[in-house]
Amino acid sequence: MKEGLIQQFEGYGEVARDIEVCRKYGIDYTLEKGSVEKFINRLHPGRMTLRVADIIEETPLDGTLRLVPEDGYLPPFQAGQYITVSLETGNIRTSRPYSIASPPNQTGYYDITVRRVKDGLVSNHLLDRVERDDVLVCSGPAGNFYHNPLIHDRSMVCIAGGSGITPFMSMIQEIVDCGLDREVFLFYGSRTLEEVIFRKRLEAIAGRFPNIHFHPVIENPPEGYGGYKGLITGSLVKDVVGDVPGTTFFICGPQGLYDFCVPELEKLGIPGKKIRTEAYAPAAPISNQPGWPENISPDDRFEIRIKDGKVFSARAGEPLLMTLEKEGIFVPSECRSGQCSRCRVKIISGKVFQPAGTPVRRSDRRYGYVHSCVSYPLEDLEIMI
Amino acid sequence: MQDYDVIVIGAGNGGLSAAATLAQNGMRVLILERHNIPGGSATSFCRGRFEFEVALHQLSGMGTTEQPGPLRSMLGRLGVLEELSFVEMPDLYRAFIPGKLDVTLPADRSGVLETLQKRFPGEKEAIGKFFELVYAYAIELYTFLRNPSAAQGTFPLLQRYAFKSAKDVLDEFFTDPLLKAVPGAYWGFIGLTPDRLSFSYLAILFFTYIEMKPCHIKGGSQALSNAILNAFLAHGGRIRFNCGAGKILVENGAVLGVITEDGDEITSKYVVSNASKITTFVDLIGREHIPEKFFDDMRGLSRSPSGFCVYVGLDREPAEMGIDASTTFILPDEDISGEQFKRMKVLDTENDMVAFSCYDVADPEFSPPGACQAVLVTLKYGEPWMRVPPRQYAREKYRCADAMIRQVEKVYPDFRGHMEEVEVATPLTFMRYLGTPGGSIYGFEQYMKDSLFFEQPRVSPVKGLFMAGGWVANCGFEPTLMSGKSAAGAILRMEG
Ligand SMILES: Cc1cc2nc3c(=O)[nH]c(=O)nc-3n(C[C@H](O)[C@H](O)[C@H](O)COP(=O)(O)OP(=O)(O)OC[C@H]3O[C@@H](n4cnc5c(N)ncnc54)[C@H](O)[C@@H]3O)c2cc1C
Ligand code: FES
Repeated sequence: MKEGLIQQFEGYGEVARDIEVCRKYGIDYTLEKGSVEKFINRLHPGRMTLRVADIIEETPLDGTLRLVPEDGYLPPFQAGQYITVSLETGNIRTSRPYSIASPPNQTGYYDITVRRVKDGLVSNHLLDRVERDDVLVCSGPAGNFYHNPLIHDRSMVCIAGGSGITPFMSMIQEIVDCGLDREVFLFYGSRTLEEVIFRKRLEAIAGRFPNIHFHPVIENPPEGYGGYKGLITGSLVKDVVGDVPGTTFFICGPQGLYDFCVPELEKLGIPGKKIRTEAYAPAAPISNQPGWPENISPDDRFEIRIKDGKVFSARAGEPLLMTLEKEGIFVPSECRSGQCSRCRVKIISGKVFQPAGTPVRRSDRRYGYVHSCVSYPLEDLEIMI
Repeated sequence: MQDYDVIVIGAGNGGLSAAATLAQNGMRVLILERHNIPGGSATSFCRGRFEFEVALHQLSGMGTTEQPGPLRSMLGRLGVLEELSFVEMPDLYRAFIPGKLDVTLPADRSGVLETLQKRFPGEKEAIGKFFELVYAYAIELYTFLRNPSAAQGTFPLLQRYAFKSAKDVLDEFFTDPLLKAVPGAYWGFIGLTPDRLSFSYLAILFFTYIEMKPCHIKGGSQALSNAILNAFLAHGGRIRFNCGAGKILVENGAVLGVITEDGDEITSKYVVSNASKITTFVDLIGREHIPEKFFDDMRGLSRSPSGFCVYVGLDREPAEMGIDASTTFILPDEDISGEQFKRMKVLDTENDMVAFSCYDVADPEFSPPGACQAVLVTLKYGEPWMRVPPRQYAREKYRCADAMIRQVEKVYPDFRGHMEEVEVATPLTFMRYLGTPGGSIYGFEQYMKDSLFFEQPRVSPVKGLFMAGGWVANCGFEPTLMSGKSAAGAILRMEG
C-alpha cells in the first residue's frame, strides 16, 4: 500500500531510476574488508612489537633502549608522547609508560631512556635483564604532553627533573633537525652532575644552535661547580629568560618537581594555562598526598572482591591496578598516571583514594568508576572489571 | 564456555538502548565494547580542567514532562529519567555570514517568524507560508509513516513535496539568497547540503526542534550513556570494556555467538550489532554467510561524511566572549547550491561552514567556573584524510584547525586569545574510536533515493542477528536510541 502511494508522488520516476542506477554501478562493500583497521594501524596501532637494536648506557642510573619495528613500520608521534611497554616479570604481567626520547623525524627507531627506580619492578627488568635482540610489546604512541602550535608559544621554557628530560630531548632534537621556528630554555634539575642524562649532547646542541639554551641545575654539585646550583626557582627562571609573557612553560619530572616549580612560576604571575605538566604517578608513600585519610596507614590491608571472581587482600598504599596485576587479573593500562581512563574499573562498594585532580569524567564519578592506576583502597571493596 | 541470550556488539546509543531494554525484560545480555567507556559517539574526554562533549549538539524528542516526546518516554521506561537533568536551549541557532547576515532563530514558531520577517520584510508573507508548509508537511509525513495504509489523496503535500530537495522548496518560496541560507544552514546537523537533502528532513528538523525544543544533558552525553549502562547493570546485564568483537559465528544462516578480539568464544541465541553495517556483514560475519543479493542492495548506498572537530576550552565565560547562542552556524556565504558539498570532499577547511556549539550558554555549570568550552565542527568525507601520509597527519590537523579558528574569529574576535586547551579530531579519529569505514558519523547517506520513503527492509539475512544504530536508522541521538529499542522489541517478540 505504502509502496503504491509513493509511486504516485511527484518525481517518483526519477528517484526510482536513481535507485536502479546506483545499485548497478555502486560500491562493492565486500572489498572493504579490514580497511578500517589498516588505516588506523598506520597512525594508532593498538600494539607494536619492537626489537631492541641497541642498548646505550647514559649515566650510572640510566640506559637507553633503541627500539626498531619488527615489521619495518613505526607510526608517527608528536615529540613528547610516550609508548607503554608491556611485559611479564617475576610472574606479573604489567606495563610502564616511557616517553620517546628520539625525535619524530627519526623514522628508523624509537629511543626510550629508562631510569632505575629503587626496588622498581620494570625499570630494573629493562635495565638488567633485557638484551639486544629481545622483543618488547608496546602500545602505540600516546599522551598529551607536546607542543600544540594552536595554543603554545614559540618560546618554551622546559623544566625537567630526572628522567623527565626524555620528552624534551625529543622536542629539542626535532626543533634543530627540522629547523622549527622555536626557542627553548631548558632547565634540568638533577641531584648530582653525573645523573644529568644527555649532558654532552645537550651541551653540543646548545653550543651550535642559538635558539636552544641548556641550563643544568644541580642540587649537590661537585666542589667548585660553576653552573646553577640548588633548585629551579622562579627567580632563576626570570633571571635567565627575562621577560616571561609570550612563553609557555612545560614541566616533566617526579612529583616533587611539580610541587615545587608550579607555585614558583605562579609567583611570577604566569597564568595556569601557560603551564603545561606531563602526567606523573603520585610519589610514594601515597599517605603524603593531600587528602589521604589520617587514620589509614599505607600498610593497612583490605579485602577486594571481584564481581563473579576472586577475593584477595590488598595494601592501601599500592595502586589497585598493581594489586590486580599481582593477582593475575589483567586490566589494560596505558598512561598509568590517571590520565587516559584505559584502566577504568567500577567500584561497586567501598571507598578508594584518588589524588585530587585525576581527570575522571563527571558521570563516571557518579557511578563509581575510577582509574585504577591511581586508586588506593581505603575500605574493603567490591569491584567490576 | 560462556553463554548468553543476547550479545550486543558496541555500547553506542543503539547498543545501549537495545541492551538495557532486553535486560529489563529478563534476558541475559552481554555487551562487548572496544573502548574503555560506554557511549560510542555519546562520550566525553578530559583535557586539562575540561571535560569535552564529543558529539551531542542538540537532543531532539524530549518534549516536556507534561507533553513527553518519544525519547523522554523511552528513557522513562528504561528508568533513567530521574538520573538525568536536561537543559532546554532557548534558541535553534544563530546564522552568521560575515558582513552580510546575523540572525538568531529562537526555538518557537512565532519567534522564528518574527525574526525572519523583521530581517527580510520584503518576503514577510512568503516566510509565513514556508513555515506553514513545514508544519503541515511534517504532520502529514508523520501520519503517513504511522499509517501508510491510508488512502491516496489524503497526502496532498507529500504528493507534491516528498521528492523535492530542501533547495527546491527554498527556491520556490524565497527570492533573497540570504533568506534561503538561514533555514538551509540546518543541513550542518544532517550531513547533506540543501541541494541534495530531501525537504522531508529539513521539515522534520524544524518541526521537532521547535515543538519539542533542542535540549542538552547536564554532564553531557556521557551522562546519558552511563545512566543507561547503569540501568542495564542493575537488571543483571554484563559488559566487557576494552573488548572488541572479532567475529560473529554463523552456521546454517543463524548466529551461534561471538568470538572476541582476544579469542574468547561466547555463545548466544541472538546478536545485536551496533557496529556499522559494513563492519558487521563484511568484517564480522563475512560475505560467505550472506546472500549475494544483500550486498547488491547495499551497493547503491554511500557512506556519510565524517567530521573535523576542534574542541576548545576557553578561559572566559561565554558572556565575556560575546557568545550568547548555544549553536552558531558560521557560513562562508549564502550558497545553498552545493558548493559546500564539494568542500566536504577536500582536506582544507578554509571557507567551510562551521557549526559552533557552546554548551555553557544554556548550562553555566558545564565547564569550570570562569571558563567555557566550544566545539567547532565541519563535515568532511574520510577519503582525503585517508590519503594524508601519516607523518604529515599532525601538521595537516593543526593547519585545518587553524583555518576553522579563523572563521570563528570573524564572529567572536577574542576567541583565539582565550584558548586554553585545544584538541582536534579528524575523520581518522572518528574512524579510530567508532570503527566506522571512512569515519562516517551519520551511517549511510540519505539522498532522496535513500530517504525515509525507501527505508531498507529490516529483515536480517542472518537468523538471530539484529542491527541497531545510525546505519539502519536515521542519524542522530533520538533515532539511534530508538533503533536499539526496536531491535530489542523484535527479539522480545520472537521470544514471545
Ligand atoms: C607519561 C610518562 C612518561 C614517562 N617517561 C619516562 C621515561 O622516559 N623514562 C623513565 O625512566 N621513566 C619514565 N616514566 C616513569 C616510568 O614509567 C617509571 O619510572 C616506571 O614506571 C618505574 O617503574 P618500576 O616498575 O621500575 O617501578 P615501580 O615498580 O612502579 O615502583 C616505583 C616505586 O614505588 C615503590 N613501590 C613499589 N611497590 C610499592 C608498594 N607496594 N608500596 C609503596 N611503594 C611501592 C618502589 O619502591 C619504587 O620506589 C614516565 C612516566 C609517565 C607517566
Ligand atoms: S592507565 Fe591511564 S588512567 Fe590508568
